[in-house]
Amino acid sequence: MGEKKISGAEALLFSLNAEGVDTLFGYPGGTIIPLYDALYVHADKMRHILTRHEQGAIHAAQGFARASGRTGVCIATSGPGATNLLTGIADAMIDSTPVVCITAQVPVNALGTDFFQEADIISMTSPVTKWNYQVTTAAEIAPAIARAFFLAGTGRPGPVVIDVTKNALVEMLDGFEYEKCKELRCYNDHPVVDTDALERAVELLNGAERPLIIFGQGIKLSGAEKQLRELSERGNIPMASTVLGLSAVPSDHPNFVGMVGMHGNVAPNRMTQQADVILAVGMRFSDRVTGKIGEYARQARLIHVDIDASELGRIITPEIAILGDAAEALAAMKRTIEARDRAAWFATAAEQHAIEYREVISKDLKPTKERVTMGEVIDGVARATGGDAIVVTDVGQHQMEAARYSRFARTRSLITSGGLGTMGYGLPAAIGAKIALPNRQVVLFCGDGGLQMTIQELGTILEWKVGVKIVLLNNSFLGMVRQWQQLFFERRYSSTPMTNPDFQKIADAYEMPHRRVERREDLAPAIEEMLSTPGAYFLEVKVDEEDCVFPMIPGGAALNDIMFNESL
Amino acid sequence: MENNREYIISAFTENHPGILFRVASVFLRRKINIESFKVSDSPVRGISLFTIVVEIDESMARVLVQQINRIVGVLKSNYYTAEGRLSQEVALFKVRKAILRGDTFEQISRKHPLRLLQMNGGASRTGNNDGYLVLRKSGYKEEIDALRDELKERGLLMELSRSGSIILHRETVEETMDGIL
Repeated sequence: MGEKKISGAEALLFSLNAEGVDTLFGYPGGTIIPLYDALYVHADKMRHILTRHEQGAIHAAQGFARASGRTGVCIATSGPGATNLLTGIADAMIDSTPVVCITAQVPVNALGTDFFQEADIISMTSPVTKWNYQVTTAAEIAPAIARAFFLAGTGRPGPVVIDVTKNALVEMLDGFEYEKCKELRCYNDHPVVDTDALERAVELLNGAERPLIIFGQGIKLSGAEKQLRELSERGNIPMASTVLGLSAVPSDHPNFVGMVGMHGNVAPNRMTQQADVILAVGMRFSDRVTGKIGEYARQARLIHVDIDASELGRIITPEIAILGDAAEALAAMKRTIEARDRAAWFATAAEQHAIEYREVISKDLKPTKERVTMGEVIDGVARATGGDAIVVTDVGQHQMEAARYSRFARTRSLITSGGLGTMGYGLPAAIGAKIALPNRQVVLFCGDGGLQMTIQELGTILEWKVGVKIVLLNNSFLGMVRQWQQLFFERRYSSTPMTNPDFQKIADAYEMPHRRVERREDLAPAIEEMLSTPGAYFLEVKVDEEDCVFPMIPGGAALNDIMFNESL
Repeated sequence: MENNREYIISAFTENHPGILFRVASVFLRRKINIESFKVSDSPVRGISLFTIVVEIDESMARVLVQQINRIVGVLKSNYYTAEGRLSQEVALFKVRKAILRGDTFEQISRKHPLRLLQMNGGASRTGNNDGYLVLRKSGYKEEIDALRDELKERGLLMELSRSGSIILHRETVEETMDGIL
């Protein structure tokens, strides 16, 4: 760029531009004013979405990243601005979401003095970031941003915090140069896949009577959707997904047998226990997936593919550990995979699915009781959108029902807080997803509890006219906690009933078209109206206060111990 | 727990701020108490060597090393059992001069090969008038422990400062980090 003098804040903006960033989510404050001043001057180069809370900014950045695959960026001021990001940073860490958070910091000579709005954000974020770095001079800004994007987006993605002291924002630099970071000697972004291990893995799969592929979000992060499908098709191997893996394979793919885990489908959970070989790809054997670990997949010889070496053998020691990129590993395995007749094995899936349909699905989707079920609403939206919408959820009962009853035609179409289970995630994440992909229909399912944790982001929707469709499944309870109290604490509903405001009035105050549905016959027309109304829409559905999500494998139980209803 | 034994965890890292914090956090997160923790220069400029001693079982040692290797800035972490490693400690003992007779000192130093550090800019043993002497002992952890116990028993020990385990690796740094550096 020439010899013109620029400030550190301008260098920061130009660095972000150099990484292809055109949208920031953030919230100003005293220390970060120089950056906001640069944003004002260079408004043509960067769009800043003012959220109503820093937590909203980071969840929006997460939603942006999860929908688009691009690294999300949020900015916050020092002290409380920065600490308000923490929950989202921890969420992004456990769910491998690429986000870069830029926090302002007090001037370098004031560090450690309990200066106004000083918080030691480097120490606080170290356990929940892939990398963090404090910039104290303007000259460091460009190289730090380059490293931040390299680390956030490559290998197993994750959050990076760049903490910039105020003096670095105002210092002047002679011109601007930017060089992208492509490698670091202390970080391996692209491990070479062990071809011997791949051969042994294929041999194991080719010899298997009852193989099962269990895939996680790693498929989406790697862009391995096609390779996964091809391996499954060519080898005639059933595939099951974790919550975060959902939508990587179309829901109606004949080899797709459903979601594993605590509220997963019966077929893949049972098949996990019966499989003789399991190929686990881009998943981490979360306790919500495995249940009691000692009883998990006892008959299976295990192949685990992951790009994060620390996941291999962390929970379960696989017979074959393959370190590397999922797309590369699956593509290589496809070449020598052999098709086998597995009619009986696929029949197991069908049989188990029939049991689940009889015991659970039919009751959820064709209930005989008066109140609408969460399942009906989600199924209704899935039908009306043809599975083409991006489904965003908050956390709780509606989340599990959304995972169970949504249908997905395209990848990256489910955005949900998996590992951390962050209530309040949904609304801002949906905003971020819609801003990333304005041409996609984005439907948020949330509960009355979670919505109220970040409900102020309705203001962001109002200001930016973000066309998010909000479906509030209102049971006037913190439903999932209530379900556990019902099942395991003898219905002692301690602090789970909610006295709620009139959400219709709130939607009205934010100038959002809205409707409340209490009767089944009003549901389909309301969904139709929501989807056909341009822009944002607020649909509240009153659902039964004491509905539970089934099937359920209680915490700590083995996968075999599936509860179909309250009594079992 | 019953399979716990002493493991030495080593890590070669970039000499950057914040890495010590992240390495220590790996132990704190699992509430593992650290017996000794040492960071110093490695033979390669700009690269630090961590040597950490913990009482854990092997599966935990493996997980901890995986987690340390995951830290951006760590070049290579490994774990070892103490056996068969050249793992040594250095300790400085502050000893009461008044009750340390020459023959006692001879006895102790015969049993526990040690070195008397000259104090006060080259003053002799008798020339030290602060009322104490400083002894230096290097050796295996157990040897340091034995000298400590002996001095304590004889009522001689005033203070003790020890380095924690320092290890000479069989491989060179370059071999350990083949393909990384």
